[in-house]
Amino acid sequence: MKTTDELIQTYLDDLKAALQGADKATVQDALADAEEHLRTALESEKADQEDLAENEVIQGVIQTYGEAEEIAQAYLSWESNLPPALAATPAARRIASANGTSAYPGFFGVFADPRAWGGLVFMLISLVTGTLYFSWAVTGLSTSLGVMILIIGIPVMILFLLSVRGLSFLEGRLVEALLGERMPRRASFTDNSLGWKERLVQLLTGKSTWLGLLYMILMLPLGIIYFTVMVTLISLALALIATPIAAIVFNVPFDAISYGEVIWYLPDYLTPLVAVLGVLLATVTMHLARWTGKFHGKFAKALLVSD
Amino acid sequence: MIDIQETHKKFRKELSSGTVSLALLSILTQTKEPLYGYQIGKLIGGQISAGDPKGDAVTVKQGAIYPVLRSLEAQDLLSSEREMTDSGPPRKYYQVTETGKQALKAWTEIWNETKTFVDNVLGGDYQ
Repeated sequence: MKTTDELIQTYLDDLKAALQGADKATVQDALADAEEHLRTALESEKADQEDLAENEVIQGVIQTYGEAEEIAQAYLSWESNLPPALAATPAARRIASANGTSAYPGFFGVFADPRAWGGLVFMLISLVTGTLYFSWAVTGLSTSLGVMILIIGIPVMILFLLSVRGLSFLEGRLVEALLGERMPRRASFTDNSLGWKERLVQLLTGKSTWLGLLYMILMLPLGIIYFTVMVTLISLALALIATPIAAIVFNVPFDAISYGEVIWYLPDYLTPLVAVLGVLLATVTMHLARWTGKFHGKFAKALLVSD
Repeated sequence: MIDIQETHKKFRKELSSGTVSLALLSILTQTKEPLYGYQIGKLIGGQISAGDPKGDAVTVKQGAIYPVLRSLEAQDLLSSEREMTDSGPPRKYYQVTETGKQALKAWTEIWNETKTFVDNVLGGDYQ
């Protein structure tokens, strides 16, 4: 006879199998919903049906919840209508998610694309978040390894690894909000039936803990690159756009290049073209932000969402 | 050969896909206070207790409510809050938003029109 926990676990495994190939975040949401329901239902129905054994109660609960195959289908059909957090108007979202492309076509349409702006903001703040993550990861890791020879080393390490899990979830929310990549909407929780030893083993051997740590460390170099590239491109584009105004209106010779004693001036009729160049560069920058955002979303999902 | 049971099931599913959203929105508006998935499932599943062989008669399985709740939340018709519990996993409490209340009014009207239409056809005399 199987125990209650085994029955719940079997159901969750079935559900996971039925959701094979679905979005990883969808699978995690579906499993979290199912576990919340089954455990809550078990607890409240145990009180109502005292004459039944616990594992008989849970069988009834699972039956009312629905067959794994059927529930998986429900998630798949609803999720296909469910856009990631940030994707313009509902209508545009539907079109975009159906085609898997931007709802704003054309080279200059990128200025109306919230994904591009989200990517831009993400790249700019990643210097700050990247520095924080990196410092926290390195400090935590070295502190806990350093005091490992003392008895307090173990609890310090555990607290640190738990914080990595929490921060990974938080970063996931940020990634979904700004980059539009679907990430888990609920933190994964540990099975309450497990003893502290098993939970500890899960924390220490779980792939998600260490991949989360790796992500936090990699965010420093990535953040520096993102920030530097974006700030350089934005300021260059703005400077190019401002050049004709400075040259023609204020007579500041920004459109001149001096080489030793020789100074070349751009012909007056060409000066406005510099601004056009600036606009083009700004547009390319927005495309780059959008593309990088997309790339980073995939990267974050690979490291922060476990199977 | 077409499985007739399968056809019934498909018809039921197609019908329920819209009505469940309406029912959830209505229940959450009536109760006024935030509810979590299991409570909502209880209210919607109502009288049918666990293990009832007639469990099939319920329009929707309790587990199928959750993706609908998520979908309504994504459309800003519901809002949710996660609360920790002493034992067991955290619970997600759902509440109707202002947009949700407006949607309920509009949807109720659509539902009444649909109901009248179907009733008229089914009770009609087309001989």
